[in-house]
This record gives sequence, structure tokens and C-alpha cells, in this order.
Amino acid sequence: MEELSFDRLDADGALREAAERAGVMSRGTFLASALGGTAALLGVAAEPAAGQGASDVAILNFALTLEYLQSSFYTEAERMGMLRGRAAEAAEVVGAVERAHVKAFHDVLGSKADPRPSFDFQGTTENQNAFLKTAVAFEDLSVEAYKGQAPRLQAKAALAAALSIHSVEARHAAWMRYLFGVEPAGRAFDQPRSKQQVTRVVNSTNFITSSPSTERKRMPSYTG
Amino acid sequence: MSRVGVGRTGRALVTLVGAGVLGFAAMLLWPAPESAPRLGGLRAPPAPALDVPAPTRLERDPDLSMWSVVNRAATALTGPGAGAALARVHTRTPEGTDNLVLVKRRARDARGRVWVEARLPVLPNGTTGWLPRDALGGYRTVRTHMIVDLRRATAVLTRGGRRVFRARVGVGLPQWPTPRGRFYIRNKLVRYRSSFYGPLAFGTSARSPVLTDWPDGGFVGIHGTDRPDLLPGQVSHGCIRMRNSDIVRLGRLMPVGTPLTIR
Repeated sequence: MEELSFDRLDADGALREAAERAGVMSRGTFLASALGGTAALLGVAAEPAAGQGASDVAILNFALTLEYLQSSFYTEAERMGMLRGRAAEAAEVVGAVERAHVKAFHDVLGSKADPRPSFDFQGTTENQNAFLKTAVAFEDLSVEAYKGQAPRLQAKAALAAALSIHSVEARHAAWMRYLFGVEPAGRAFDQPRSKQQVTRVVNSTNFITSSPSTERKRMPSYTG
Repeated sequence: MSRVGVGRTGRALVTLVGAGVLGFAAMLLWPAPESAPRLGGLRAPPAPALDVPAPTRLERDPDLSMWSVVNRAATALTGPGAGAALARVHTRTPEGTDNLVLVKRRARDARGRVWVEARLPVLPNGTTGWLPRDALGGYRTVRTHMIVDLRRATAVLTRGGRRVFRARVGVGLPQWPTPRGRFYIRNKLVRYRSSFYGPLAFGTSARSPVLTDWPDGGFVGIHGTDRPDLLPGQVSHGCIRMRNSDIVRLGRLMPVGTPLTIR
């Protein structure tokens, strides 16, 4: 969705970091350190090539970051109360689903789950047109990201989970496209996006920001 | 009568054959309960690694408060996009932390621009004003609330409406009263060298109405003390003092952006 004007930078690079881990973590390090208790949940312990689970964890964390992005976006839109009609209804329904996705990833990743980044949606949750435009971009991007990462998952159980979410994201994409007034499904084949492509798009939004600096080492000057 | 008998037998035969065909079809189509190879070499699908819970709608949360950092300096107005100028709101606090405001509500002006009504750290205490949405950063939420009771000299922190902290405190002397009203926690100062302020200090948006020439604006803080023997009671220049063990505990419980009610 390059036509959606994402034009800023990811300040603390949360998504980029997750993506880099998804791409560069050594598969061989899995048994030594990476999975721990998560291995059984992912079903990778029973896999013949069990040493490939670390990349699964990194990919699931990459997906989790995208789910954080979406769930925070819809939750904020609902809390703002500035949407109307079908868009407001869609934000409520899709937001509930995205929060469920986040919880599921948290449950399976346990202590390996990346923390939720800070977000600044720059007013897109308070404007009907901007909301729908951004929602289309998020959902399309999410579908393409799952499609890009699913073939890279080693554990069948993780692949099954990714596919079960991928189809839900595709429905969301069609719904948001319909509400925004663009064709929900015009192509015969969808293309995946690599982690680098997804990261580049999300980075350009600057929706992921650094946490505010609210704590400091400094002598107080309060009245005492 | 015999035709009726033959008919019954025939229907029974058809029913049996039909059941057999359906059963065979079900064997082909129904997933096998175990992972043994089935017809065509297909196995049952693996169980997904994720157990996605049922989606739950967002419930109205009366304990939720929202705050935002000031990304660019702006003038707060008395109305959304209109009215008199109330105060200039800056991006940094006097302590050098990011400035933040407590968000109350939003509205559009005549041109459709979004404005945010926010509680401001200015005198007179309790001032709220409208800031352009694009001057603020992302919204953040807290479910905590600090309530200071001046008469009882107590500080109580709630989270989600449940009390998680209570301490006896020192408050302002009659000549330097702690202001009553609704405020919020602006920042947290740590690792400084001052026994007077104790090990940790929270900055608030409340300001002394009398010590207006105090350095950095006379903001009221919540901090520790080197004179715990004076607590509780009216002992301070307006700040809320508590025992060092209490302020350290509060430091773990109270996030910046927490609304503060002083009554």
C-alpha cells in the first residue's frame, strides 16, 4: 500500500529488531538457549530437526509485533470514540480479534515474548478516512507478512497457527477494503512480502515510537 | 397387504444400503481421530501451536486515564480551535523530562481539525485548555489514581479501583498550603543526592499558590524525607512527604501520568 503516505521513521526500531531476529538468528542455537519451555508448546521438540525452533520463535515475535501494532490501533480507535457507523463497528470487532491474537502469541511465547512497543498513531484513530486508510494498509500488510513468513516456519504446529491467523487477517483486509471503497479481492494471486519489505513499510509510518523520557537523575526543586 | 409388506422390506433395504454409502463417504471425508495414515496418505492436521481465545469486546473502564506527551510547544485555548489563549505549553518540564498533559476529551473545530482538552500544569491550579491534536504524541493509558487526603494526612493509590498503597503523609503548613484539586504525576526523579527529598521524588502538575517565585515554578512534589519523626501532619512547604520506605514502594507502583486528587 505505498499509496498510503507513510512518511516517517521507526524511532526505536522495535519491528526492525524483531525482523532482524527473524532473519539472522542461528537455527542451530535453538536447543542450547532459545526456546526452553516454549518448545513443547510449539511442538518443535518432537520435530526431527528440533534445532530449527529458534527461528520460529523469532518469526512468532515478528508476528506478535505486527499484532501489537494492529490491536493497539483498533483499541485506541474505539477508545477515542471519533469513528461512526460501520467503521466504528469494524474497529470494535477487529480490535477484539487482534487482542485475542496478541494474547495467543503471549501465551505460546511466554517469557520469550517481546514487550509491547510504544505507539503514536498520529491522529489516524480520530479521523474516519485516515482510520480506514490505515486499517486497509495494516491488514494488507499483515496478510502479506504472514504469507511471507509461514513457509519459513519449521514446526508444523507453528505453521498451522500462522495459517489460522492468516485467513482471519485476509477477512479483515477484505472488510476494511470494502468499507474504504476499494476492491476487496481483485487479484487472482496474492504476493507475500518479505520481513524487510514489511519492516520498511512499518518503519516509514513512525507509528512505533520511543518511550517518553519521564524519569531523570536530577535533584528536585519542588517546594519541599 | 402383501404389497405393503414388500414395500417395507424394500424401504428397509434402501435404508441399509443408504446408511452404508453414507458411512463409507464419512470414512473418506471425516478426519481420522489419530494421526495414522488414511486413504490417500493424508494425516490429520497438526494441532495449531496457538490457542487463540474468543475475542472479547472492550469494556468501558471507569478507572482508565489517558495522557500524552507534548511533541511541539503550543498555546492552550479556552475552546477547540477558538477562544482566548490560556497558557503556552512546552515540550519539556523544568526538570528536563518530556512534558505531558492529562487528556480529558476531544472535539473538532469548524474545519474538522481535532483538538484535545487537557489538564495543564499551570496556575491557577485546575486549569484545563484545548491543544491541537498534532501538538501531542501518542496516547498512553494508566489505571492508577493517587488520592491525598489533607485532613487525614493520608495518600492512597488505587489500581483498577482497588487500593494498592496507603501511607501517612506530611502536607503543607497553613501558610504554605498543599493545593486541593485534580492534578497528575508529571515525572519521577531518582538517584540524586539529597536527604531532604529522600531517595525518590515524583513531580506533579500542582503548584503552590503562594510560593510563586520558587525556583522552577513552585511545583508540588511527592517525595521522601529525612524527618520521618514529623509525619503525619502539616509539616511542609506544600509538598507531600512520606517515609522513605513508603516512597520507594510507591515508586514501584505508580506510573507517570497517574491522576492525582488532593482533597
